[in-house]
Amino acid sequence: MDKVFIDGLSFAAPLFIMAMGAIYSEKSGITNLAVEGFQGFGAFVGALTAILLMPVLGDGSQAVIYIAMLAAFVGGGIYACLHALLCIKFRANQVISGVVINILAVALTTFLTSTINKSLNGDASNKFVLGVFNRYTIPGLSQIPVIGALFRNMYPFEFIMIVVAIVAWYLMYRTRFGMRMRACGENPQAVDAAGGNVDRTRFISVMISGALSGVGGICFAYSISANFSPSIYMGYGYLAIAAMIFGNWNILPTGAVCLFFGLAKAGGYQLCLSMGLPSNYSDLFMMLPYVLTLILLVFFSKRNHPPKAAGEPYDKGKR
Amino acid sequence: MSKQNKPQTRQKKAWFSALLDSEKWNGLTIPMLTILLTLVAASIILLVMGKNPLVAFLSFLQGSGFFPKASYGGGQGILTDLFNFMNILAPMILAALAFVVGFKAGLFNIGIAGQMLASGFLATVIIGYSGLSAVLAKPLVLVIGIVAGGLLGALVGWLKYKFNIHEVVSTIMLNYIISYLCGFFINTYFADSLTRSSKICSDSARLTWTNVNIGGVKCNLPLGIVLAVAAAFLVKFIFDRTVFGFELKAVGTNVRCARYTGINVGRRLVFSMAFSGMLAGLAGVTYYCGYYNTIVPKSLASMGYDAISVALLGNSAPIGAIFAGILITIFQYGSNYMSSTVGVPKEIASLITGILLLFSACGGYFRYMAHRRLEREKDEEIEASRAAKSAGEPAESPNAENREKEGKL
Repeated sequence: MDKVFIDGLSFAAPLFIMAMGAIYSEKSGITNLAVEGFQGFGAFVGALTAILLMPVLGDGSQAVIYIAMLAAFVGGGIYACLHALLCIKFRANQVISGVVINILAVALTTFLTSTINKSLNGDASNKFVLGVFNRYTIPGLSQIPVIGALFRNMYPFEFIMIVVAIVAWYLMYRTRFGMRMRACGENPQAVDAAGGNVDRTRFISVMISGALSGVGGICFAYSISANFSPSIYMGYGYLAIAAMIFGNWNILPTGAVCLFFGLAKAGGYQLCLSMGLPSNYSDLFMMLPYVLTLILLVFFSKRNHPPKAAGEPYDKGKR
Repeated sequence: MSKQNKPQTRQKKAWFSALLDSEKWNGLTIPMLTILLTLVAASIILLVMGKNPLVAFLSFLQGSGFFPKASYGGGQGILTDLFNFMNILAPMILAALAFVVGFKAGLFNIGIAGQMLASGFLATVIIGYSGLSAVLAKPLVLVIGIVAGGLLGALVGWLKYKFNIHEVVSTIMLNYIISYLCGFFINTYFADSLTRSSKICSDSARLTWTNVNIGGVKCNLPLGIVLAVAAAFLVKFIFDRTVFGFELKAVGTNVRCARYTGINVGRRLVFSMAFSGMLAGLAGVTYYCGYYNTIVPKSLASMGYDAISVALLGNSAPIGAIFAGILITIFQYGSNYMSSTVGVPKEIASLITGILLLFSACGGYFRYMAHRRLEREKDEEIEASRAAKSAGEPAESPNAENREKEGKL
């Protein structure tokens, strides 16, 4: 049971931060299917930084991880510029642009990883081997009966995520920029009339989106797989999008949905183990979060309120 | 008379823009420009890596059987490569058509990969292992492909129509569900103990005639390619000549307007997704029971996504999909040979596809820019002529019309 909470939370936290990235972009009126690509590219930049730094700072150094996270933040943000450029400047169809960005990210990172590996150590493997985060336990809180497990064996990034989540929430709902951003997704003409710059606000939002997704990506790389390889493109980005839609484009409900996904995934896996089924059956349980999503969407989709202007390039002349 | 000279030089400069903007030609010129830009970008990457791009591009073509290779293995020849190329081209075209059909009705079928896997899996399990004779098995494989894909597509359309679930989300969820489900069944019941993928589909059910001897060369004759080309023309016919196709296009262009004219939008959504799914199902059987004869568990074909690039590059036109499919397949299929001759990792093929996609997503912008430039020149011309005559002659009417057009863009 403890394992469910521990694994569930460590899966939910990066998912949440990616979903938050998606929210930032969509709230500003840019449909974002590119989360998958953002997180992959961010993870790639982070992993590359870590690989380059590890000989300098020593293999076991945890400082590398934090620098890598920062690099992933920056890398994801820069890669997101591509999506922003396509959607805002080039007026491409935003869904198509998202798909393009994803395909390009997979191709680019795979290609670069094997090329860089070849030049660094001769063999063209498509992996950057990384370490794993140290885990921590919070002394007092972990003694609470059932929920205590949430605070045991935590990855440090889970704390960072909580801080980031609070900052992101504050930025979106309590600042002038946040309000403008949300207005850009509902009625960009009004923002323009009020003296705001729609294109710039959207551009920044998409960059934030990429940066947050990138951090989510590197956290997956450091916790679940302990390396960077094309297997980072497991579709968690899409799951984050589903969480966002399910959470009705609001940060707090989306967080709850992510936690639910994490617990469902970890719970399914543990259930499979505890029932003593052969490993084949884990596939059936891995399917669980997706089936649940689909079923729950059936009940909740009707009342959804997506940002009104999402998916349309801003056209000043349009009424 | 010096003034007459000036517009002429301008016109010479503007031919490029005019070509990109013209209604008649932009379906051809914009993809051409995209391809050109991609080749330039790919050449730059290859040059940076210290390789000769021309040799690399030639290797792509040689690998796909368009040019003879330097040497061939026993019993193989240029025809072997060409037929193999067409064998993998067939599902690519069909999958691209699947995307086109959805796209015309305003739906993004991201779930092509899942629909392909489901139909390929079912066809393999039901027919591929049954030992039926070829006359019976091959058509049945096609039927199963169509039915399985169509039902999945219809489900997506129905979820959208009934419950307002965005098709992108539901198809992505279904992709994972199908992938895990098929993975589970293959691992548990149908796994080949040696290769860990599914047991092979019998030759009589396969949509490929294997090891046919043509002129002393062993070839795998693809049946799917005939199907793919026929399907492309069928889709074209449906969209150009039938009420059904027209209504789909109407729904895709403007849902509200379509509803107002009395088109049953919900039903059209379901139909178009079902149609799209059928084509994806056909792509699935030509892929898993044609080019391949086995399924690797828990992996979705990247073709499901590559097909989107093919469809976009082909201007989301059915015939365009054939040509775009040929181009992208040359890169993807030829990359194996290219990587062995030039020594570049074959992942560059997907990188080139990605760049191609990137530029084709900007296609609309290229046209917009060309249009704007033409307009500016027209304005200047009018201004020049006005300055020459200096008597205010109202000649702006064509100009005003163009302004309106720009607004719509």
